[in-house]
Amino acid sequence: MANVQQLSDEYSDLQKKLQDVIEARQKLDAQLSENQAVQKEFKTLDADANIYKLIGPTLIKQDKDEAVMNVDKRLDFIEKEIKRIEGQISEFSEASEKKKTEIMQIQMQQQQQAQAQQK
Amino acid sequence: MSRAPASSAGKQQTLDLSTLSIQNLSAVKKQLDEELEHLTASFQKLRTAQAKFRECVKSIQNGVNPGVEGKTILIPLTQSLYIPGKLEDAGNVLVDVGTGYYVEKTTEKAIAFYNDKIKTVGNNLDELEKIVTQKTQNAKVVEDVLRQKVLQANATSTS
Repeated sequence: MANVQQLSDEYSDLQKKLQDVIEARQKLDAQLSENQAVQKEFKTLDADANIYKLIGPTLIKQDKDEAVMNVDKRLDFIEKEIKRIEGQISEFSEASEKKKTEIMQIQMQQQQQAQAQQK
Repeated sequence: MSRAPASSAGKQQTLDLSTLSIQNLSAVKKQLDEELEHLTASFQKLRTAQAKFRECVKSIQNGVNPGVEGKTILIPLTQSLYIPGKLEDAGNVLVDVGTGYYVEKTTEKAIAFYNDKIKTVGNNLDELEKIVTQKTQNAKVVEDVLRQKVLQANATSTS
C-alpha cells in the first residue's frame, strides 16, 4: 500500500510539473504573437519612422534598424525557448503516463489478490 | 495549441459515448466545462481589448485634430489632478505597438492601425464564438448521455 502511496505522490508531482511547463508554454505563445505583431508593424513603417522604446518610465528614441534587429533577436530566442519547453512537456507527459499505468497495474494486482483471498 | 486534437478526439468520443462509464463521462464533462470556462473568459478579455482599441480611435478623432491645435486643454496627471496645456502637434501621435515599442504615426495612420487591430480581434472573436458553440454542444451531449446512464444505473439497482 505504501508503494501505491509513493507512486501516486510521484504522479501528482509530475502532473504539477507538467502543468507548470504548459503554463510557461502558453506565456511564450503570447509573447511570440505579440512580438510577431510588432515585427509585422515594423515592416509597414518607413525607414525614417520615429520609434521609441519604453525603458523604465521613459521613452528612448531608437533607430528602426536597431529596433527591428532587437525584435528579430527576441523572436529567435522565444522560438528556441518554445522548442525547449515542448521537449519538457513531452518528457513530463510521457513520465506521468508511465506512472499512471504503473499505479493501475499495482491496483489491479491488489484487486486480484483481494478476490483470490475471498474465494 | 491542443485545440485541434482535443476537438477531433471530442468527435470520436461522441461516437462511443454510450460505452463510457459514469466516472469517465463525468470526467469528460468536467474537462469540457473547464475548457468552456477558459474560452468564455478569453472571449470576455478579447471583447475588452476591442473596446479599448475603439476608445483609442475615438480619442484620436475627438482629441487630436487640427481644431484642437492651439486651444488650451486639460491634461490629466492623475485621475483627479489636471494641468492646463496646449497641443503642439495635432498631426502625429505615439502608438504603443506592443513589447515596449512606441511608434510615431500620423493621426490617420494611427486610426488605421487601431481599426486593423479591431478587425483582427473581431475575427478572433468570431472564431472563438464558433468554438464555444461547438464545445457547448459537446458538453450538452455528454451531459445527456451521463444523465441517461445515471437513470439506467438507478433503475437496475432498484429492480
